[in-house]
Amino acid sequence: MKTLKNALKAREISSLIFLITIFLLVGAINPNFLQIKNLFLIFNGSIVYVLLAVGIAFVIISGEIDVSIGATLGLSAAVSATLLRDGNSWIVAVIAALIVGATVGLINGIGVTILKVPSIIMTLGINGVVRGLSYVYTNGKWVENVPYAFKSISQATMLNSLTYFFSGALVVVFIVHMLLNKTGRGRYFAAVGDNQCGAQLIGIPVDSTKIKAFIICGIFAAIAGVIYVSRVGFVTPMAGNGYEMKAIAACVLGGISLTGGLGTVVGAAIGAVIMSSISRVLVFLQFSSDYDNTITGILLIIIVVADALIQRRVTENARRERLSARTLSDKGGYNNA
Amino acid sequence: MHKLLLKHKLLRWESGLIAILLSEIVIFGILNPKFLQTRVLMGSINDFISICIISLFVTFVLITGGMDIQAGSIVGLTSISLGVLWQDAGLNIWTAVVVAILIGALCGAISGFFVAFTGVQAMVVTLGGQFLYSGLALAVVNLSSSTAFEGISGYPKSFIMIGSGTFLGIPNQVVIFGVLIILGYVLLHKTNYGRYVFLCGINKKAAEYSGIRTKWIIMSTYMLSGMSASVAGIILTSYLGSARADLGKELTLPIITAVVLGGTSNLGGKGGVIGTALAAIVIGIMRFGLVMAGLSTQYLDIPIGVLLVVAVATRTVGSNTKLMKAISKRFKFKNA
Repeated sequence: MKTLKNALKAREISSLIFLITIFLLVGAINPNFLQIKNLFLIFNGSIVYVLLAVGIAFVIISGEIDVSIGATLGLSAAVSATLLRDGNSWIVAVIAALIVGATVGLINGIGVTILKVPSIIMTLGINGVVRGLSYVYTNGKWVENVPYAFKSISQATMLNSLTYFFSGALVVVFIVHMLLNKTGRGRYFAAVGDNQCGAQLIGIPVDSTKIKAFIICGIFAAIAGVIYVSRVGFVTPMAGNGYEMKAIAACVLGGISLTGGLGTVVGAAIGAVIMSSISRVLVFLQFSSDYDNTITGILLIIIVVADALIQRRVTENARRERLSARTLSDKGGYNNA
Repeated sequence: MHKLLLKHKLLRWESGLIAILLSEIVIFGILNPKFLQTRVLMGSINDFISICIISLFVTFVLITGGMDIQAGSIVGLTSISLGVLWQDAGLNIWTAVVVAILIGALCGAISGFFVAFTGVQAMVVTLGGQFLYSGLALAVVNLSSSTAFEGISGYPKSFIMIGSGTFLGIPNQVVIFGVLIILGYVLLHKTNYGRYVFLCGINKKAAEYSGIRTKWIIMSTYMLSGMSASVAGIILTSYLGSARADLGKELTLPIITAVVLGGTSNLGGKGGVIGTALAAIVIGIMRFGLVMAGLSTQYLDIPIGVLLVVAVATRTVGSNTKLMKAISKRFKFKNA
């Protein structure tokens, strides 16, 4: 019973229920939507957002924000696509992409922790720089002619259902979730995001935890970039533009609080699936996909506002309970204000 | 020497910006002598007028401790609504302009309402607003008989003159910018309203206890920034002669850069209109000058991003006395 209650309290569960509700509602209007094939299409199509959202979840949970991941995705996609096109093995391409992602993350982390630049400013600036670098790197041209063998990986499926990429991402999300919640070092991220001074006082290395969060975020963006290359097959200099906003929105939809300390990567992944299913939902409801952004925006605002109101109510209730408990029991202490 | 300068606060932020601006003009003037012609310099504002105008009023939002990343999307929404109101709804162009400004105010009011009254982070709400308004802009396009990529054009000459006419030999856009600077300056630094804006950012609770209606003040700052975005949208529509839904899409980075570079703290409570105006011009001239010096427009984000990071880093490091002491110690050590 208690575990059930706890499960219902968990924010990612409510996002999951929300996702299922959407699917059932759309399915009620247009039964074709619930065909297994279509559902797998939605899941498989959300892979890039899932990875981005899981990566940025680290940064958001530790109380910062990273708006440079769209550009990081673009640059690492451009680098890996160029390497693949020139006949290098995919291992080289992946490693190069990872180096790009980790470097950008490291720079962000150093800027935020050592130079003490606010993260929104730091990553906004780096976003511009990295986007510009990907123009420099590609000379403003598209990177095309990625080998077919590499592109076909993204199409390969297990038992005609989920792609290897998506199943791999599921495993990664599960492992990361376990690492974050069940290990001491994993809890550091939430601790730093929840109460930075408190974390410092009990001896958690705040700065290096934050830098780690940014590096992990960059690495996830880089992996998303490589998968982007495999799925799309070509890279424009604008690849990934605006994805950072969608990833942040996905985290918020998945119940991660932007003030830090609250939320899980599973939530982020669920949020990402919600985000990327919106455009398909619209198609099945016979709306133009032009309304994609409108719906995303409305959904985001409604969910966040509802969440804030519920939270406020919960804390008010808790306070009232505490107060009445204090007045009823004859201790009469004011110390717990 | 350095210490002395810092101590006497001779290195005020605004004077630093003026120095950057002057050195920019000199450097670009050397690179390309055409750059120094008054006509060219004045005309260059066409390229960055929207950054200038919007950042002036986004400053208000940041001073209250908020964040506004939706202003760019309101530019597109205003522009296309203006076109649709004029062409498809048959309104008089000036009525359409007024309605467009009201739309901007409404957009700002919606986001501002949620920020002020529900306590959700401004960043999240305006992120939602960014999606919402850019999506609505596309939806408005569907109301018109034109397609998204061609835009709505063919405006009367009087409207076109807003963006491309001159007043006493000065381009109208410069005049509008000047008027808005004065308006913003008076509003922020000379009126009670401006004091309230600052108080909201410094200590919201204290402001509330002293009888200031903080919620309405915060909401109003978002309305101001929404209105400024719609003014920018109108000017851009007039200058380009065509209403488009995708205008202003790339403005978020430069706007926030201008506000923060201008000395406004994103934590609230500190900042000023003059600094923002100077910083916006610095950024604009830099973009314009680099293009004239032969750099492709796509690379412009690199110097601007670097400028943003370096400016804020120097400020935070500069205000960190411990770090400064360590640096000066090392400096002395090296000299000796």
